[in-house]
Amino acid sequence: MTLESELTLEPYQGPAAEERTAAGPRPSRQPSRGHRHWPISVASVILFIAIWQLSGSLGWVDPLLLPPPSEVFRTATELALSGYRQTPLWQHFLISVARALSAFAAAIAIGIPLGLFMGILPMLNAVLDPFVQFLRPLPKIALIPLVVVWFGIGETSKFFLIFISSFLSIVVGAAASVTGVSQGRIRAVQTLGASRGQIFLYVVLPNALPELFTTVRLSVGIGWTSLIAAEMVAANSGLGWMVINAGTYLRTDVVLLGILLLGLTGYLFDWVLTRLQRRFAPWAGKDA
Amino acid sequence: MSREPRIRLDRVGKWFAAPTVAGKRTDALSDVSFELAPGEFVCLLGPSGCGKSTILNLIAGFEQASTGRVLLDGDPIREPGPDRGMVFQQPMLLPWLSVRENVTLGPRLAGQTPARYLPEAERHLRLVGLHDFADHAPWQLSGGMRQRAALARAWLPNPEILLMDEPFGALDAQTRLSMQELLHDIWRDTGTTILFVTHDVDEALFLADRVLLMSARPAGIRAEIIVPFGRPRDPEELVADTDYGRIKRDILHCVREEAARSLALDPA
Ligand SMILES: Nc1ncnc2c1ncn2[C@@H]1O[C@H](COP(=O)(O)OP(=O)(O)OP(=O)(O)O)[C@@H](O)[C@H]1O
Ligand SMILES: [Mg+2]
Repeated sequence: MTLESELTLEPYQGPAAEERTAAGPRPSRQPSRGHRHWPISVASVILFIAIWQLSGSLGWVDPLLLPPPSEVFRTATELALSGYRQTPLWQHFLISVARALSAFAAAIAIGIPLGLFMGILPMLNAVLDPFVQFLRPLPKIALIPLVVVWFGIGETSKFFLIFISSFLSIVVGAAASVTGVSQGRIRAVQTLGASRGQIFLYVVLPNALPELFTTVRLSVGIGWTSLIAAEMVAANSGLGWMVINAGTYLRTDVVLLGILLLGLTGYLFDWVLTRLQRRFAPWAGKDA
Repeated sequence: MSREPRIRLDRVGKWFAAPTVAGKRTDALSDVSFELAPGEFVCLLGPSGCGKSTILNLIAGFEQASTGRVLLDGDPIREPGPDRGMVFQQPMLLPWLSVRENVTLGPRLAGQTPARYLPEAERHLRLVGLHDFADHAPWQLSGGMRQRAALARAWLPNPEILLMDEPFGALDAQTRLSMQELLHDIWRDTGTTILFVTHDVDEALFLADRVLLMSARPAGIRAEIIVPFGRPRDPEELVADTDYGRIKRDILHCVREEAARSLALDPA
């Protein structure tokens, strides 16, 4: 029996030409929301800066209360050349970044292993969890008097304040990251002969990696926020200190410049970490 | 069968703590006894929820029997091991490893050098038609391709026993047929003992030496069918065989009866 004897199978031509063009070409992959709309974001920021500038140029707002962008820019070049309070602007910037990065590095290096151990060892978790949960939501500014008494007014105090706030949230996030691993994946590697250590290395840890990145992003954000608290401790340099100090002299232009730099740097940290996350944990949320 | 059984289930009962309407626990298996001879290919057929996966989990060592004994070469099974490979209902690949890394996971966990396992791994990848996709991430493959990768992964360490839980259930009809033929050929070449769970009577009759029919939960073995067809089997010739229709009808009759009983059991 042959099919051809009963059916005439004509080669398929595809839909009629008009239909094809009417529907238009389909994008092969939907770009993510943030990517597709970036021109709108850029336009929105430009518009905001323009209105801000106009508000000063047209005299809507007292420039002492809200210096316009042109003045902030002038201040930026001035501080870049001659410094603020005998310290060049780039040095304020670098010292803040250095304080933050060293504290982040320590928080990640200690917090992630500790959190992972808490996640896989219920006993350890039971011992440490009450302290972590008590300290984590505590406003870190409340610790400043104690920290000064313990560590003095040098770099150690500043390091400790940034460290402690990012460290606590890293520990909590890392402990949570190892709990959501699917039983099926563990069983799959068990039938291939995986030991307990291998199960951790091959399944539990990579499964937790996307969430660890998210945890680090959040914690770095929290740590950067506490930079001001850290630099309130008798500093004479750093972006946080610059903002507070300029405030007492009503130098709102310097305050605004500091705020801009603090915000942009935090944004940059997050951008870098998001990049790293996509590069090193592209399987986030993927099933297989 | 005169030889020692490879696997022996001896009056196995299994219940779970999860309460049902009828009582405080879920009885999955009531009294299951059967044996698998070395090199045998046995299919397990039964209504949904009767305990087929539970039997595989007991043999794999993921769960312990509540009553009775589960023996491997005469010794009780206590934990999972690489001597009992498994292909699950879902592929269960690791998304952080490439297809090749997934397939070679067994030998790599055993600490073998690439020189030892790679040639064989490449051969397996070619057999399941994934050679061109070896460097892809599993989530870049189709569902059927993933399941083929899972099959290659379970085969590569050459386990003495292979437990397969509806491995082809999610595949399209054509791929399923070619995977069945592939599985059949590999089994013939390696002499692995296979316990294969399926809902598909044709699949069971094409693959198995023996079919075990399970009753509704709490399940036991209701019937055993020795498949009389010689090998090699040709799927097209098989359906034309006069015995085929009769055997398939008998099996379907049993399966449907049990399925009806299992639905009647769940008052809802
Ligand atoms: N971990 C568990 N906890 C509680 N009950 C369970 C558990 N695993 C299985 N069961 C129960 O045991 C019974 C058998 O389950 P099992 O998964 O073995 O069925 P199955 O025959 O494989 O079904 P299917 O063909 O739908 O896959 C079911 O009633 C189920 O509710
Ligand atoms: Mg099942």
